[in-house]
Amino acid sequence: MKLLFQATWAVLRKDLRSELRTRYALNALLLFAVSAATAVSLGVGPLGSGSIAVSVQAALLWVALLFAALNGLARSFVQEEERRTSLALRLTAPPLAVYLGKLLFNLVLLALLDLVTTLLFLVFVRVSIGNIGLFIALLLLGSVSLVTATTLIAAIIARASFKSGLFAVLAFPLLVPVLVVVIQGTALALRGDPWSAGLPMLQLLLAYIVVTFVASSMLFPVVWEA
Amino acid sequence: MTLRLTQIARILIGIWMTGVVLAMFLWIPQYEGLGNAGRIMILHVPTAWVSVLAFAVSAWYSAMYLWRGQAVDDDRALAAAECGMLFTILATVTGAIFSQVVWGVYWNWDPRQTSIFVLMLIYAALFALRAAIEPKEQQRKLSAVFSLFAFVTVPFLIFVAPRMADSTLHPNCAFAPNSSCDGITLRQGSIGLLGDRKVQLLALEEQGDTVVARVQVSEPGLTSEAVLEPTFDLTQGESVVEPTFPGLRYRLVVQSVDPANGTVLLNIHAPGTGILANQRTLVTFLASLGGFTALFFWIFSIRTSLLGVAWLLEQREVAHL
Repeated sequence: MKLLFQATWAVLRKDLRSELRTRYALNALLLFAVSAATAVSLGVGPLGSGSIAVSVQAALLWVALLFAALNGLARSFVQEEERRTSLALRLTAPPLAVYLGKLLFNLVLLALLDLVTTLLFLVFVRVSIGNIGLFIALLLLGSVSLVTATTLIAAIIARASFKSGLFAVLAFPLLVPVLVVVIQGTALALRGDPWSAGLPMLQLLLAYIVVTFVASSMLFPVVWEA
Repeated sequence: MTLRLTQIARILIGIWMTGVVLAMFLWIPQYEGLGNAGRIMILHVPTAWVSVLAFAVSAWYSAMYLWRGQAVDDDRALAAAECGMLFTILATVTGAIFSQVVWGVYWNWDPRQTSIFVLMLIYAALFALRAAIEPKEQQRKLSAVFSLFAFVTVPFLIFVAPRMADSTLHPNCAFAPNSSCDGITLRQGSIGLLGDRKVQLLALEEQGDTVVARVQVSEPGLTSEAVLEPTFDLTQGESVVEPTFPGLRYRLVVQSVDPANGTVLLNIHAPGTGILANQRTLVTFLASLGGFTALFFWIFSIRTSLLGVAWLLEQREVAHL
């Protein structure tokens, strides 16, 4: 068990270090976030806080997050294949540690993306958040669901040709439930509804996270050794 | 022996399905309120059922492939997915045609429409994935993993999809006896939403034993309004007059009245509620359900053996080289 944690930590540290050297995924994600927020701001401008406005803002925020995530999250696995380092990784770390390490790395990336995108939306689109606690909870759980659902898919598409296009194609149908719930929940949070209104959505996201995490960690060794 | 069996199955299924189609057009009565369009239900519901069944079969054989590692299991999973895609398209198209004829919209993001749309996306993704991986072994393993992973996330749709639209045009009450179509309770002057129509209870008048509810119905966007007057018989405890919404085929129904509080429970009756009450329709429907299921397993087995043969030929070619 301790060995697993050490190996996970090593994989995570390796990924972070190699990412900081090239900043490939980081740049892609952040520039995508900036472009999306700018485009939304130029296109729709400040919408106020009517009931339609909060729905539109919530949807735009999550669309921006989703496509930025689909742009960058496959990177950690794809680069292992492109640089032909996956064999070395296969030899040195157990599959579960690789999976957990990459999962945590993606989480770090997405947390950064969340922060930047939300700040940009607050500034450019003048989104006002009614219930900040609920908003943050939804943002966090939504992001974790994105990551638990897409990390396994990233590992799958790393083996395929036409990688980046395939990632979105495979990930989107699985993310539909998350998107629906999180967009509606975020709209409630922006409007300032109490926690009780958002609770069923948080529960559903939590269930989704548990299910996809367990399924991925069981299926990952097959993908990794395929 | 297997060849002989599939031959016999082909003939039997052919005769059976011919019977179903003939019965569908000639034997079953026209359903009141739906016209001839209602007959499409005999095809629509079984194809939708088969598309879900195929998805489950595909996931099952994907799991078996990962478990046992035999190529035939992967062939079965692929064959089931291909049949599933076919039937998904059939169900969607027949549903959309029916929806346009009866309700005036091709698409509504009903819970069931959402689910089948996502199912279609998953099937399409599965084929895209297979096409993008060259080594056969890897292709089999990775698509089995994706198929299983997708199968795990689908149940969430069942919880989520009802959130997408306030209403469903699918007559839930017809096919699942215990399901509830909720409706809304209104008191005089209050407003509510039935489907995408705003309804307002203008007045509640008692005329002897019957209660007349004057309900103002507004189109989405408040483009036009109409006043409907559904009635309810207090002694019988059932609705009497069920006017149809303007421009649509579904009806406004008073489900119950609470005279003490001055409230009524209003609901939509989609045409098709109770469509299976007729004995002939029920028999034809069940025959069609069985026929389509048999058809699915027949195509499935043929396609599986074809895939197996293709694989053998490919291996032989490799051996020659």
